[in-house]
Amino acid sequence: MPYEALLVAVLALPFAGSFLAALFRANARNAESWLAGGVALASLALAGAAYPLMAEGGIARYSAAWVPGLGLEFVIRMDGLAWAMTMLIAGIGFLVVLYARYYMSPADPVPRFFSFLLAFMGSMFGIVLSGNLIQLVFFWELTSLFSFLLIGYWHQTAQAREGARMALIVTSAGGLCLFAGVLLLGHMAGSYDLDHVLAAGDAIRSHRLYVPALILVLLGALTKSAQFPFHFWLPHAMAAPTPVSAYLHSATMVKAGVFLLVRLWPAMGGTHEWLWLVGSAGLVTFILGAFLAVFQQDLKGLLAHSTISHLGLITLLIGLDSPLGQVAAIFHIMNHATFKASLFMAAGIIDHETGTRDIRRLSGLWRFMPITGTLAMVAAAAMAGVPLLNGFLSKEMFFAETIEIHDGSPVDRALPYVVTAASMFTVAYSLRFIRDVFFGPPPTGLPRTPHEPPTLMRLPAEVLVLACLVVGIVPGYTVGPILETAVRSVLGAAVPEYSLAVWHGFTPELLMSAFAMAGGIAVYFLLRSWLLVCEGPPLFRHINGRRIFDRVLVTLSWRLARRLEEIFGSRRLQPQLRLLAAVALLAALAPFYMQDLVPRSMARPELDAAFALVWAVGIACALGAAWQAKFHRLAALILLGGAGLATCITFVWLSAPDLALTQLVVETVTTVLLLLGLRWLPKRLEEISPPARIRWYRGSDFAFALASGAGLAALAYAAMTRPSPDSIADFFVENAYTKGGGTNVVNVILVDFRGFDTFGEITVLGAVALTVYALLRRFRPAPESVPVPEQQRVQDIDDDAHPDRKKGDTVRSAMAVPGLIMRLLFPVIAVVAVYLLLRGHDLPGGGFVAGVTMAVAFILQYMARGTTWVEDRLRILPVRWMATGLLLAGGTGLGAWLFAKPFLTSSFSYLEIPLIGEIPMASALLFDLGVFALVVGATVLILIALAHQSVRSRRAPRSREAEATTLAPMAELR
Amino acid sequence: MTETAELPAWVAALTALLLLLGAVVTLVGAVGLLRLRSFYERVHAPTLGTTLGTAAIALASMICFSALEGRPVLHALLIVVFITITTPVSLMILVRAASLRDKAEGKLQAPGADSPA
Repeated sequence: MPYEALLVAVLALPFAGSFLAALFRANARNAESWLAGGVALASLALAGAAYPLMAEGGIARYSAAWVPGLGLEFVIRMDGLAWAMTMLIAGIGFLVVLYARYYMSPADPVPRFFSFLLAFMGSMFGIVLSGNLIQLVFFWELTSLFSFLLIGYWHQTAQAREGARMALIVTSAGGLCLFAGVLLLGHMAGSYDLDHVLAAGDAIRSHRLYVPALILVLLGALTKSAQFPFHFWLPHAMAAPTPVSAYLHSATMVKAGVFLLVRLWPAMGGTHEWLWLVGSAGLVTFILGAFLAVFQQDLKGLLAHSTISHLGLITLLIGLDSPLGQVAAIFHIMNHATFKASLFMAAGIIDHETGTRDIRRLSGLWRFMPITGTLAMVAAAAMAGVPLLNGFLSKEMFFAETIEIHDGSPVDRALPYVVTAASMFTVAYSLRFIRDVFFGPPPTGLPRTPHEPPTLMRLPAEVLVLACLVVGIVPGYTVGPILETAVRSVLGAAVPEYSLAVWHGFTPELLMSAFAMAGGIAVYFLLRSWLLVCEGPPLFRHINGRRIFDRVLVTLSWRLARRLEEIFGSRRLQPQLRLLAAVALLAALAPFYMQDLVPRSMARPELDAAFALVWAVGIACALGAAWQAKFHRLAALILLGGAGLATCITFVWLSAPDLALTQLVVETVTTVLLLLGLRWLPKRLEEISPPARIRWYRGSDFAFALASGAGLAALAYAAMTRPSPDSIADFFVENAYTKGGGTNVVNVILVDFRGFDTFGEITVLGAVALTVYALLRRFRPAPESVPVPEQQRVQDIDDDAHPDRKKGDTVRSAMAVPGLIMRLLFPVIAVVAVYLLLRGHDLPGGGFVAGVTMAVAFILQYMARGTTWVEDRLRILPVRWMATGLLLAGGTGLGAWLFAKPFLTSSFSYLEIPLIGEIPMASALLFDLGVFALVVGATVLILIALAHQSVRSRRAPRSREAEATTLAPMAELR
Repeated sequence: MTETAELPAWVAALTALLLLLGAVVTLVGAVGLLRLRSFYERVHAPTLGTTLGTAAIALASMICFSALEGRPVLHALLIVVFITITTPVSLMILVRAASLRDKAEGKLQAPGADSPA
């Protein structure tokens, strides 16, 4: 099927082009234009080649697996409507590229412009060609993103940035709503495939989720198409370069919303909700846009509001919920794209050649640029709905449709009169655009002397205006078949009778047109003198959409957040901890109530006297630690170590040497860590008796701690007294050697069976270490613990009192022998660490234990000689260790891909080393090496960051330079 | 502990004796830590355990496992070596700290003199 390749090519070409365009030199305007124009033309030709199939009413389809697990397919689907839209996007895209070549200044970085433009074009193709709703939403958000980048192209101006931001927030928020709506649609239809959804219209309409889904989808479509009340973003998007405006506001972006409505009409239309929601949004937008457009002073602002108005017209047509309405809507989508694109181009030319877009300053340009003036005039006439132009045809259809009775409500009956009145404004602003700009006295005080633009810059507008004329004069031979193709794909067999003839006889709609025309001319001449001096539209001058939007944003993102933070946040650590513990306690209590988790009786295990004694010691140590923690922190810390050792012995006793080993080294490091922290706690005196409030807090904390501890004990008891369920432990024991190549099951699980978990864990460990480091960089200890500790002060006084001694001699002599021994132990501990690492796969050991052991060796040096001494001689660079570790572990995992195995697959073999003999080598060892390096880095980083506090605080002058110098050693750690 | 049944009687006896010796010496040190009065006296008591006690227990271990495996198993020597090296470190640091504190508080009269309780 050649159509499949064609579809893929249409979708892929713009993105490939976008990528290429980004690589060009900054001033390669011509090359960029050739590339972008070529891509657009190729897309146009490819889509054109699909016409034979489309004319038969066929559907071209390409599908590939996307997320097979969720039953999602990537489907490119082209039917008549999608084909017509593709032609429109590609055709106008080509003209816009040509126009942009002359519009963009040589100083603008064009690669960025054309790259975004092509990507935007591709995203639009993605929307219209999606055969899958989720895929459609994806491309929908892509258009939001690229339109943001295009609108903000001149990011040096605040206006462009704000306009881009507003467009992004509004349209992408709408896109999120659309996503939710699409999920509901898929749920109701049973599939996300467009064909399925379109066929499941009855099921969707009768579903109880229909209304929420409709509202969500409408939020998406109406924000994109700038419909009331979301229309305010579009005028601000005019800060974009004019080619972008011409493209975004004619054939693309805003048309995506109405396209989606037409697309989903067979599935969701035909209900009261549709009629009222879509119809009223369209009607209000149509009137409001037309009214506001008359009062604009900026050419592009006028066109922007007219775009809003015309999209309101299209939305209203779709909302009128009849087949003929859809025909007229599709027709007007095409017509509006042609005349609006040419009008934007004309406005751009005027801006380009005169240097201003202010209608008040422009006049009499006809003398200087007659051709551009003619083009603009024809296009504006098409916009106003003058006969023999394409706008007239679709407007007639629109009038005819509003005359029809839909539900007979008062609004419905008043509709013809209302739209006629609103159309007067359409005529008025079209007239204003022409008369105020091109006629009247010659302009004075323009930045530049106006003249005709280069021929090729005018060419795109000429082509478009020609299209307006041809379609308006001989519709049946030109747009007829195309419209027929598009309409049939939406309405299927139920295509109503419609006629594209220019002359229908004297019909009510002709009368409405005549009234609108005459009324519009009258409105213009009545308001004319006032329009040139007025500041913004009457009634709406003070309703500034942007101000409201900004206020909502500030309220949501800042005030509300502040308020919530005030209510729920606390800077004090104690309430936070209390809250944390309370939630944990409640969460842990839940299973006792809900799951009936009661301890069961079981045979009392045999109690070994020695083991019981170890536990008695451990318990005594733990209780003692709690008892002493308040006033004798060092004693409490020592007792804590005792309790830890009891745990360690327990592990050995219960045959878990790996755990015991880990517990031992972790216990050591933790003790040092706490010791370093103790320095910063304020001294507590037993003599001071606290006030009642504090005592009450302490009492409640105590009760809390008791409850938590007792609860945990109960939970453990309940869990341990029930038979253990079948676990996969046996699998590990059986397969550790055969599949993992190691006899130490624990280690094989860590580095092989559960390697991915370990990888995640070391990543977390690294993140934690970096966080601690980052927090401590800015840490300022409590004022009372900043001065030199009392002990040190006493020593210094003593040293000063003896003439033969220098400051610090006491501590130096005290540490002379211990320091030497600690230094000598460094290589020994390092060897032990390597030994633990290497044997880890078969015997107790492994990367984690080895890493902590190595860290102990470093810490010992710091303790023996002090930070300054060590860092003069040893550069540890813990962050590099961590990076190396992560890269090594990740790289080992990725290495498996070279052998076409999944991530982290390990292999093992034996290696013959002279003297040592045959040793087992598993790829897991490399992984373990990564774990080792990361653990060393993380542990040392935390401990050094803590140790540095004492270096920093002692040079305590609170000036900026001092701070910089004290931070310097910390910076070196990187 | 079924393996112990394979030990020759004299090895078992020797091991048990050494173990007991080590344990008793360590216990005496612990009791001394409790009974002695001043800090400076007390620091001496636990050294019984870290020297003679450790040595006896390590020796027992070496004899026992060498006999069981039929080859010299001397890992425990490392324990003795490291304990011998590291114990004085903590001892020195502790005593220095204590003497500095006492000096600061004016309790230390003269090196070698009897300390007040």
